[in-house]
This record gives sequence, structure tokens and C-alpha cells, in this order.
Amino acid sequence: MTGRLVRRLLASLLVVWAVATATFFLVSLAPGDLATKLTDPRIAPAARERLRQHYGLDRPLAKRYLAWLSGVVLGDFGDSFLYRRPVREVLAQALPNTLLLATVGLCLELILGVVLGLVQVRRPHGFWDRALSAFSLTAYALPTFLVAAGLIWLFAYRWPLFPPSHMTGLLAPADPWTTIKDRLWHLALPAITVGLTGCGAVARYLRGALLDEQAQTYILGALARGASRSRVVLVHALPNAALPLITLLGLSLPFLVSGALVIEVLFSWPGMGQVFYSAVTARDIPLIQAVTILVTAAVVVGNWLADVAYALADPRIRR
Amino acid sequence: MEVRDKKMLAAAFLLVLLVGCRRQGPSPAVQGAGPIHGGEVVVALAQDLSSFNEYTGFSESTETLILDLLFPSLLVEQPDYQLHPPSFAPNLAKAWEFSEDNRTLTLYLRDNARWSDGRPVTAEDVAFTFRVQKDRRLGWHGLEIKDFIEAVEVVSPTVVRFRYSRVYPYQLMDANDGHIVPAHVWGEVPLEEWPHTDFSKLLVTSGPFRVATHLPNQTLVLARDPNYWDQPKPYLDRVVFRILPDVSQQLAQLFAGQVDLVLMVPPREAASVKQDPKLELVEIPSRVWGYVGWNNRRPPLNDRRVRRALSLAINRKALVETVYWGYARLANGPIPSTMWAYNRNLPVLPYDPQQAQALLDAAGVRDMNGDGVREWQGKPFTIELLYPGVNPLRAQAAVLIQADLAKVGVAVRPTPMEFTAMMARQEAGNFDAVLSAWEEATKVDLTSLWVTPSPTTGSYNFIGYSNPEVDHLAAQAREEADLAKVKLFLDRAQELIVEDQPVTFLYEGIQLVGISRRIKGADINPSSVFFNLPEWYVVP
Repeated sequence: MTGRLVRRLLASLLVVWAVATATFFLVSLAPGDLATKLTDPRIAPAARERLRQHYGLDRPLAKRYLAWLSGVVLGDFGDSFLYRRPVREVLAQALPNTLLLATVGLCLELILGVVLGLVQVRRPHGFWDRALSAFSLTAYALPTFLVAAGLIWLFAYRWPLFPPSHMTGLLAPADPWTTIKDRLWHLALPAITVGLTGCGAVARYLRGALLDEQAQTYILGALARGASRSRVVLVHALPNAALPLITLLGLSLPFLVSGALVIEVLFSWPGMGQVFYSAVTARDIPLIQAVTILVTAAVVVGNWLADVAYALADPRIRR
Repeated sequence: MEVRDKKMLAAAFLLVLLVGCRRQGPSPAVQGAGPIHGGEVVVALAQDLSSFNEYTGFSESTETLILDLLFPSLLVEQPDYQLHPPSFAPNLAKAWEFSEDNRTLTLYLRDNARWSDGRPVTAEDVAFTFRVQKDRRLGWHGLEIKDFIEAVEVVSPTVVRFRYSRVYPYQLMDANDGHIVPAHVWGEVPLEEWPHTDFSKLLVTSGPFRVATHLPNQTLVLARDPNYWDQPKPYLDRVVFRILPDVSQQLAQLFAGQVDLVLMVPPREAASVKQDPKLELVEIPSRVWGYVGWNNRRPPLNDRRVRRALSLAINRKALVETVYWGYARLANGPIPSTMWAYNRNLPVLPYDPQQAQALLDAAGVRDMNGDGVREWQGKPFTIELLYPGVNPLRAQAAVLIQADLAKVGVAVRPTPMEFTAMMARQEAGNFDAVLSAWEEATKVDLTSLWVTPSPTTGSYNFIGYSNPEVDHLAAQAREEADLAKVKLFLDRAQELIVEDQPVTFLYEGIQLVGISRRIKGADINPSSVFFNLPEWYVVP
């Protein structure tokens, strides 16, 4: 057991290293660098070469890679070209914001999806099943920016229940209770956008799995023994049908750290998506690398957690 | 410089947003007895400033806009470049004089300027700032601006002296570039530590406003600085910058009254801002001009008859009207018509497809096989036109150019690209044509764009334009101190460039600012939107 864990840990580290290395070379070999886009009348053309040297972009690729790798091994991600301060500090500002939005958003997605799925299987192919199928498929298919723009228009302007953007009001409130209320109030629309656009997938998976389970003989047995329908679905069928959801959630974990660019841009939410986008457009290699490592690690950990959760949910896997 | 408009993700759904947000209200036509203290102005910004220290790397222009309010400059550049090179008004320096030989500039600082911690702003700060600017370890993007300033000496706490290695027209401008930073605070951090230092924790400023709170990529609140030397200004209690990367959100919040000022209204939205009684649309002629840059090294584009033909075949006037909804002017030459150095006698190139066809024929680019596309050396003459894909205005222009050139038998393939990748191809000379824009500096100099590129000094002349006479005239204009002569050199150079048509000049940009009518006293001009922010006030 310990041997398996150690092997798996090493394999995970290898995956993170491989992805980060590939990204490093891809970004470094992509045409242009930070200095390329500096065509500005205020800047002398000679400054471009000087800035290239300043950021070490004139050194051989292998040297740059080794310098970067040795830094990362020692826990130093370097300084961001764009934000001109340590990458660690840039991420420390953005990561909590993304974690907040993604956690609340994913919870909403899960709750909405499970409720939809359960309602649908009450009478398969009945009116509500078809109506909600149409709804969840539409929500799944609609582009995020459309859902976001629609929600903003409806609930920030038509009926101004929620603020259209940002994490706080103009002036930060003084006491902690008001701060929490203010934060939640601002969180509403972006979190609902995450929940609405994602709940369709959860509902579809759950509906399919629940229908499969209901065709099993143990369900028939439970019903024959006089268990109520809702008890059969919630206690007997749901835990078994939840397995694909675990995979789905495990795959969603990277979203907790990567953020969602479109939602962050539309709602002015200062999260990882925006940081990563600006890093890519500025060819900010240290920042791109740090985000890549973080997201890759989240993928690996997400898979791990999904495996562990599988084992907990399904005793057969434990053996 | 490409005017990037990267956050247009939801552009198509702009209308969805805007329909509901336009509340009609009475116009606040309260014209009181003059400026009133108090209130705040909320400004929408597409991106936050990335650092409070401009000297540790490259800083974007929005950053400069904010730093202008927090750190003092010696002088203030005036927006009078229509008549002559910009003049300067006193700021931290209340007076200045040049020595007889013009090699020494003495500046007299005002004695009532204070840092936000109460310490006076002194000549020591000016000298410290100069050392920072010249330090090659820091990588300030403007280092070369200070090339001809040899030393900055402290004469007394309020007198500082700049020594120059040569005499030239822009001595004052070069001395003034860059904001003065606090020596007594920032000087405590060794310069080699600067790139790893978070200067938002060392915010000792000296301007009309100081930083009250900063939530990165969210909100920057500036509050009135009671130490500001020009009392009773500023009138506003607060200036709040709200970071709104999405332009449709900026406009929606402007219409809803949640934001008072939007810096760049897209041309297609100008009419709705104009119609709103609560808002005003301010048009600022900018020094940005757009062009199609032809690869002057690549045949047959190296033949100026071919380039001229392409310019004649593009209906530039219609393009400017369509793409910019009338909020741009036809460009005619390398210097914008709003500047003193513009040659007012330049011939205007008409839209003349017939003449274009004749020129192409004469240059040997003919349609030999009758398929409607001209050939060059046996192959169809096809031009790949690169443009930055995130900019919808460029995409529209590319399609119009494609249609116009098809009429004279030239095939154009519009190719959207990521901005840096496009620049890299431009730098490598690996392109046929690019659709791009440039902003002329107030310090007019044709060198970086139009002089034959030299491998030692670097150049922005990616298109590979080369005309020895232009090289000579640009050098003469740079060396000459007499403005009347400089103007003659520049006039002639412009004529030559227009004759050669190394690029097709398309438009001169107009910056559209949307501003709430409750703001009074604002003088929004080409120097800066916040040119006289200390004098702004709001009416209830």
C-alpha cells in the first residue's frame, strides 16, 4: 500500500514536471517575447534589446530553463515581468478570489444538478422530465457570456437586485458582518452563472445513472419489500448513481484554481483566469509557468481525490 | 503601437445589456456659484496599474495616467502641440532657466510641496530619481530619454541643476520625463532589491490625491491629499477607479450612473452616449494613426508604383466612415494633421481605381491568364494582410481592403493573429502587409519609423522603408535647434514619404470619452483626460 502511494506520488510529480517543462519550451519558442510588443513612441527602439537583456531573454534557452527549474525546486517562482513583483505575491492575491467563486459556484452546480436529476427520474419521459431535459441541455449548450450578460441585464439593471460587477462596493465596509454580506451579495450573479452553466451536465449524468440503477433487480426488491419510492431513490439508487458525479467533480477541481476567464472578465472578478490571460498576452513566462504548475497539480490532486472518493463510495474498489 | 481592445468577448451582446440600462433622468443643469468641495468621481478602467513604481520595467499608459495623480512631475506638458513643440507650465518646479550656452538647466522648486508623510519634496528627491532612471539594473523603459543628460546636481534643497552633453530642441521635455519619487523612503531599499519589492507597501506620494485603498484588479480609491501645494484644490474628496475589463460593462454602468467616466467609448456606441441627457461625449483628436504597412523589401511591393496603386485602389474615405462611424479623420502622411510639424501642403491621394490599374500594369503586375487576378512573375499576386485578431475594427477594415483591392485584380488574404506573434513576424520581416496603428509622440522625430534601419541602434521601421534623402532630412531635423529650419526639413521628408507610399495612410484616431454631466470644470484635452483633475468638481 505504501509502495503504491509512493509510486503514485512520484508519477504525479513527473506529470507536473513534464507539463511545466513542455509549457516552458512552448511559451519560450512561440514567436515573440515581452519586448516584441513594445512598440511605443515613448520607448526608444534600442530599449527593446536592453529590456530583453534585463529579463534575461537573450540567454540561451537551456540556461534559462535550468535557472527557472532550480528556482522552482527551491520554491522560488521568480518575479512577474508584468506585475513587477514576486509571482508568489501575484498569485496570493488572485487565488483566494477564484477559490471563493469556484467553490460556491461548484456547490450551486452540484445542488442544482442533483435536484434536477432527481425530479427528472420521478417520472421518466413525463412532462417534467422532458421540460427539465430541455432546460438542462439549453443551460449546458449556451455560451457562458450569454448567460452572464442575460443575468446581468435581468438582475442588475431590469430588476436591480444584485450588483453587476466586482467583489465589493466602492468603499470597503467597516465591520466583518457587513463585509460578509457585501461579499455574498456581489458573489450572487457570478456564482449563479457558474451553477447554471454547469448544472446541465450534472443533471444529465445523474439522470442516466439513476435510470440504469432503477432497472436493477435490487431496486425491484426494495420496492417489493415495501420501501417508499423516495426512500428507494435517495437511499438505495443515489449512492450507486453518484459514481460518475465523483469523476465529474474530480475533473472540476482544476477549475478551483484556474478560474474562468469569461466570467471573471464580465463580472470584473479579480481571479486566476484574468491573471493567466494577462500573463499569456504579455509573454510573462514566470507567471505563466507558476499558473501552469498550479493547475497541473490540481488536475493530479483532483484525480487522486476522485479515486479516494470512489473507494469510499464503492466498497468493491477498496479490495 | 497597437490600440488593443482585448476584452471584446461579449461585444455581440452589448445591446442585450444596454437596452435595460438607459434610465432617463433630468439633466443636472445646476450651475452654481463655482467649484464646490466634496463628492467623488468614479472612473472605469479596462485594466489596473501593475505597479506603483514605473522604474522597474515597462509600464502601460493607463499606469502613467494614475501615477500622474500620485507622484509629481517637475513641469506639466501643455496640449499646444498644434502650433509648436509643446510648451511647459510650472508644477513642482515653479520656475526654470537655461544657461547662456544652453547646456545647463536650473530649476527652482516650490518650497511648499510635501510628501504624504509630511516631509518636504526637495532637490534631493529630483537627483535621486535621476539616479534611478539611469540605473541599468532596473530596466526603466525610458532610460534612453535621459541619454543627453549627464548629471543632476543639488544646489540647495529647492534648486536643482541639469547638465546636458548637447544642445537640442527637446531638452526641457527630456528633463521632465518620469515622475519624482521619494528618496527618503524608496532610497532605503537597495536598488538591486527593487524588482522584488512590492511598492504598494511603500506608498509615500505627493500629488493632489493619495491612495486610500487598493484592491488589485478591483478598485483603487484615491483620496484628497490635504498636503497638496495648490490649495484649495483639489475639490473632489475622492477619485475611484473601477477596473472593468469588459467594455460593455463599462458602458452599461455609465448609462446606469454607477460610473462617471469611460475613457474609450467604441465608435459604434458614440451615438447612444450622445443621446443620453445625463452624459456628454468628448471627442479628443489623438495622435494615433492607422495604416496598412507594406513589406518594402518584398517584390513587387518594393516598387513604389505598386504601393501607390494599392493606396489609390483603397477607398480610404469610405473605410474611415464605415469602420469608425465618422469618429476618425482621413490620414494623409506620417505626422498627424493636429501637430505643428504636419505639412499642410501635402497632396491628398484620391480614390482612383483606374489610375491604380494603370500603375499596376506599368509595374508589370498584369492579369495574363484572364482569371481576374493579376500575376507577378507567373504567380497570382496575393497579399496576406495580418491584423491583431482581438480588434474587431481591424477585422472590418481588413475585409473592406480585401474587397477594394479585388476590384483592381489584387487578391488579399486577411489573417488575424495574436498581437505578439504578429509583431514577431513583423520584426522578422516575414509578412506581405500588416494592418496596424502608431501613436506619434509629442516629441516629433521621424527616425524610429522612417529612417533606414541600422542593426546597431534598433528601429521600428519593420516595413524596411529606405530613402537616403529621408534619412538625411531626419538627421538634419534632429540636430537643428532652429525650429523654422526643423519644420522645413520635416515638410520635405513628409512629401518624400507620401510620394513613396511605404504604407497606405488610413485614419487619424479620435478618442471618445463618455463623461457624466454632473462633473464640472473638466478640461479634457489631448495631453491627458485628467489634465486638470484638481479643478474638477461635482454638482449634486
